[in-house]
Amino acid sequence: MVAQDPHDPYFIDFPQRVRAVQAAMAERGIDMYLGSRLRTLSWIAGAFCPWRSFIIIPPEGLPTVFTFVIDASRVADDSWLDEDHVLGYAPMGGQDQVSVISEMIDGYLNGGKVSIGIETGMGSYTPEGHLTHFEYEQFSAALPDARLVNAHDIVDALSVIKDTGTINRFREASRIVDIGQQAVYDAIKNSAYLGMTETEISGIATYAMRKAGSEFEWTFTGGNEIASGYRTGLAGGACTPATRRKLQAGEPLMVDLHAMFMLGLGDHSHNYLLGPASARQKWHARNFVDLVAKCLGAYRAGISPTSLADEMLAYCEEQGFAEYMVPGFEHGIGLMGDEWRIGMNDGPFPYWTNPEHVYRPDEMVICAIQYACPEEAIGFRYENPILISEGGCEYLSKYPLEIEEV
Amino acid sequence: MSETYQYLSPEWTQEAHRRLREELTADKMKYVTSSMVTHYKNCPDGKDHSLFYKFVKGVIEELSLLEGKPPKAEFIISGDYEVFASISRAELGARSALMTGRLRLKGSMVKALGLSAVVDRMNKVLATIPTVY
Repeated sequence: MVAQDPHDPYFIDFPQRVRAVQAAMAERGIDMYLGSRLRTLSWIAGAFCPWRSFIIIPPEGLPTVFTFVIDASRVADDSWLDEDHVLGYAPMGGQDQVSVISEMIDGYLNGGKVSIGIETGMGSYTPEGHLTHFEYEQFSAALPDARLVNAHDIVDALSVIKDTGTINRFREASRIVDIGQQAVYDAIKNSAYLGMTETEISGIATYAMRKAGSEFEWTFTGGNEIASGYRTGLAGGACTPATRRKLQAGEPLMVDLHAMFMLGLGDHSHNYLLGPASARQKWHARNFVDLVAKCLGAYRAGISPTSLADEMLAYCEEQGFAEYMVPGFEHGIGLMGDEWRIGMNDGPFPYWTNPEHVYRPDEMVICAIQYACPEEAIGFRYENPILISEGGCEYLSKYPLEIEEV
Repeated sequence: MSETYQYLSPEWTQEAHRRLREELTADKMKYVTSSMVTHYKNCPDGKDHSLFYKFVKGVIEELSLLEGKPPKAEFIISGDYEVFASISRAELGARSALMTGRLRLKGSMVKALGLSAVVDRMNKVLATIPTVY
């Protein structure tokens, strides 16, 4: 159990988060909340829960996490919750996840007709953690007097705006990522990249970031995403887990690094031209850098993903490189497990970003720009967590924006 | 010939308590302070019975036999009389009985894992009691 210190720059008032959820439950007539998404577990328990986990939030008092017993003590050690509120489940009589959770819920409800908030839906992110159909049926059968209602939007709404401790965790994760980027540059400069593979680049960055305190290269997409040559130019290649491909002169290199600090996520992509670079390659690189600079200058409260995309794509068209742009400029971000969708589930396509979502101060997104020219085997990616403010934004990775020829 | 005891009789319970205290030191009991109930369903008399164990710093301070609904305890292990009898006769392992769902555990699984060796030791001692089932 981690002691809570309000003076710690990374302090998050988890009990207040629980009370906010409980207040929303009361407003909606929900007696219990059964969370199952990774983002919910991170946001409330403050611990990384890689195994299938659940969190029960009663109408008042502390929540209880249930995770696979092999990891339960570690989760309790990392969480602000004590070991009586982080329990394990296992394939044993009375201890499987449905039995042990239903029993606890039953104990709170005293057998009355009740409403239980659950988290269901669909996601483009595999580890999202929605309640499965089988789990739904099992809990329904085990709690026959309960009505299971979808209530994930309670946590979603409360987690959109980031508090200071969360923002500071992201700042630190970005500082660590910048150390990884520097280590990669130091390793590849002066043609030292010759003979290296993408996986080796990933390892160099990982070692530097771990030394600096990173807990995890957190993405489900393969940790550090390194692409070289034609792989940088895949139009549908926004995630490029490193391969054994060797870096070669005259090719582009994309270095997309990920670090995690107290569940805050660093995510910064930097690009290189492995010399000698052609004039055409440099033209592509200039296009991309100019666009990223313009995009970073455009973020502020009051705009939406659509208005930003319209503005950026108009610029690309004007400059003559619109055909190389993937028409999206950001994705959502929060503590570990909260990735991809921006804002709430209130757009035209369920469980996708609402393109008309209007940014507010202290929202965070990953500015994510993909430039792909497959026919010339060249592409670039930019990613950087940004914190939106009234008049602009703070980009958390401070690594210089440029595409160096090395 | 040594005396035999009827399983779950007051005499058997008394003998079990005596042997457990005598053979399991506080060290072997991992200095545990806790409480446990083994709840026997479908006993030969048609009723449910429970054994209530109270551990204080590794000493089994109380072992009592109760009838009907199980009392509150940190851990409750419940199952059919026959399953428990099989375990006491060393025909079935307690872990196997739990893993196959023939026994049900109520209580923190994490804490229970830490005490499984203690329960194994207790079961071994109980298995030495000359018992009629």
